[in-house]
Amino acid sequence: MLKMTHLSKVYRTEVVETYALRDFNIDVKEGEFVAVTGPSGSGKTTFLTIAGLLETFTGGHYHLDGIEVSQLNDNARSKIRNEKIGFIFQAFNLIPDLNVYDNVEVPLRYRGMKAAERKQRIMDALERVGLASRAKHYPAELSGGQQQRVAIARALAGSPRLLLADEPTGNLDTQMARGVMELLEEIHREGATIVMVTHDPELAARAQRNVHIIDGQVVDLSEEPRFHAHNARVADA
Amino acid sequence: MQIGPILVALRRHKAGTTLIALQIALTLAIVCNALFIIQQRLVRVDRPSGVQETNLFVIQNDWPQKLSPQDADARMRADLQALRGLSSVQDASSSNSFPLRGSGWDNFVRMTPEQVKMTTDTAIFFSDEHTLATLGTRLIAGRNFRSEEVGSQGGTDPMHARQIIVSKGLAQLLFPHDSALGKTVYVSGDNAPSTIIGVTDTLQAHMTGLWAQAYAYNALLVPARLTGDSTFYLVRARPGQLADAMRQAKAALYAQTRMRMIPPHDGVMTFAQVRERAYDADYGMAILMGIICAVLLVITAAGIVGLTSFWVGQRRRQIGVRRALGARQRDILGYFLTENLLITLGGVLLGIVLALSMNLWLVLRLGVQPLSLTYLAAGVVLLLLLGQGAVLAPAMKASRVPPVEATRSV
Ligand SMILES: Nc1ncnc2c1ncn2[C@@H]1O[C@H](COP(=O)(O)OP(=O)(O)O)[C@@H](O)[C@H]1O
Ligand SMILES: [Mg+2]
Repeated sequence: MLKMTHLSKVYRTEVVETYALRDFNIDVKEGEFVAVTGPSGSGKTTFLTIAGLLETFTGGHYHLDGIEVSQLNDNARSKIRNEKIGFIFQAFNLIPDLNVYDNVEVPLRYRGMKAAERKQRIMDALERVGLASRAKHYPAELSGGQQQRVAIARALAGSPRLLLADEPTGNLDTQMARGVMELLEEIHREGATIVMVTHDPELAARAQRNVHIIDGQVVDLSEEPRFHAHNARVADA
Repeated sequence: MQIGPILVALRRHKAGTTLIALQIALTLAIVCNALFIIQQRLVRVDRPSGVQETNLFVIQNDWPQKLSPQDADARMRADLQALRGLSSVQDASSSNSFPLRGSGWDNFVRMTPEQVKMTTDTAIFFSDEHTLATLGTRLIAGRNFRSEEVGSQGGTDPMHARQIIVSKGLAQLLFPHDSALGKTVYVSGDNAPSTIIGVTDTLQAHMTGLWAQAYAYNALLVPARLTGDSTFYLVRARPGQLADAMRQAKAALYAQTRMRMIPPHDGVMTFAQVRERAYDADYGMAILMGIICAVLLVITAAGIVGLTSFWVGQRRRQIGVRRALGARQRDILGYFLTENLLITLGGVLLGIVLALSMNLWLVLRLGVQPLSLTYLAAGVVLLLLLGQGAVLAPAMKASRVPPVEATRSV
């Protein structure tokens, strides 16, 4: 699903060159749930932004779903982000001017979906995160946990195959974090591939596989992937 | 494509949106009225005077000392004879004023002696049998004055005129269904009738102001030399000899007597200069209004650029999020263009109402004509284009916000 080989990312400013990632290798299989951990500044977010085609990289190779993405132009990258990838950010990143319903609708509109289908998907997604009754609320009227669930609904509405989450529970208290985690696990059980950056060892332990990043490199592929039965089926397919 | 959510989002930025929409409304109202007025002015400026303007010039002659009416008349006749005798001069006459002069006499015209309110107002040109030939204006009916009909009239005496010649415009105003020839009207100070003995082709009045728009082609010729402190000599040069005639005429007058004053700068003016001077204010007004329009448009455009730039800066993260969720650059560009279009449309709708009200006020108060809808439509298009043009740069900037902006920590 997601394969990076010898990938590097350099941030150049006038004075310094920062290697955010160096000789970075990772292979995430379809249907896996991978937790990424590592100290602050080690390159976890950088890895996710590159994985999610939010940013380009400096060297190496990145195949997403079998496609070498460095060849793609901006429009093609936008299309992949829109159709294949769902993002969940630490800061929720809901659009404050839009209510819950309109927020979830944003990626669907960019996909050019018909109004009736959009409505169906939005209500389904909100139903799943338990916020269908809050469709008319604005983000500022919701708690952090609710906002993050809206963000998850927004990521889900487009049925992405890859879900990228950057510390999705970083701004939430334990109980809310647990709720979000359960939601992610449920989504995973339904077949999505999930890569989640987290600081929380408890949450990381609930993922199938942990990847540890230090200084821009994957240092410890702690365990071989433990496939759930249904994931194996997906992998076979 | 995304009008609904854009409108929803705009509702949450009421202050800025309203401000820009109001500015657009006001600009539209002022600009289309101003452009319309400019156009009206330029149409006025282009009106024909009815005078053959090439080869015609005007001399302003002031008598420095008080002259008796008899002396003044004698001097004027001598002057005219001298002018007509010049080889470069085709004809000459004297008058109190002339078309496009600006100032002069205008009298009320009444149809009966009892009538209190005027039927119309007309310019009075004191004339002789040479006046029409000098102006180059044709008679279209009746006859010219005869030399024995031309008398003399003191500058402060009540006007008396038994025979008069009227311009086509005045004739049609007074007798719309009928020939004016032989009819009588009341224009004199002595309340006696004046008989129309001739009708000229188009002839413009001396008054060029907006107030006199309705009387602009009302001219009435009275067969008399007006003796006063000053007079104008209208002189028609022979073709191609305008400069010579102007020089010779001045010399010839001073040769008659040096006891006169011809103002050094504008005492001798070609008719082209007369025309230029007559419409100075109109050109000035047109330029002023043009500048006001330009300034308003620039300010409005700057307002749009400013507000949109501010909004783009404010929404960088939001733009990044949209990009992350699959918006292409052109979607972001489209978002801001559409947003501006909606604001401008709102402003323009209000502006149409405002423009029409403003015009109504101008029509009622200042006698401006009702706004042509073409100008309103042109103004609407102009502002929509201005809005889109102004928003383009900030919108392009917005479209270049990278998707990774979504992940920047707050
Ligand atoms: N836009 C950027 N410009 C320069 N340096 C950056 C930029 N983004 C990240 N970095 C640097 O790259 C390194 C990795 O950052 P990041 O991926 O955010 O780490 P993490 O998410 O693990 O905390 C850090 O040293 C950081 O300072
Ligand atoms: Mg990070």
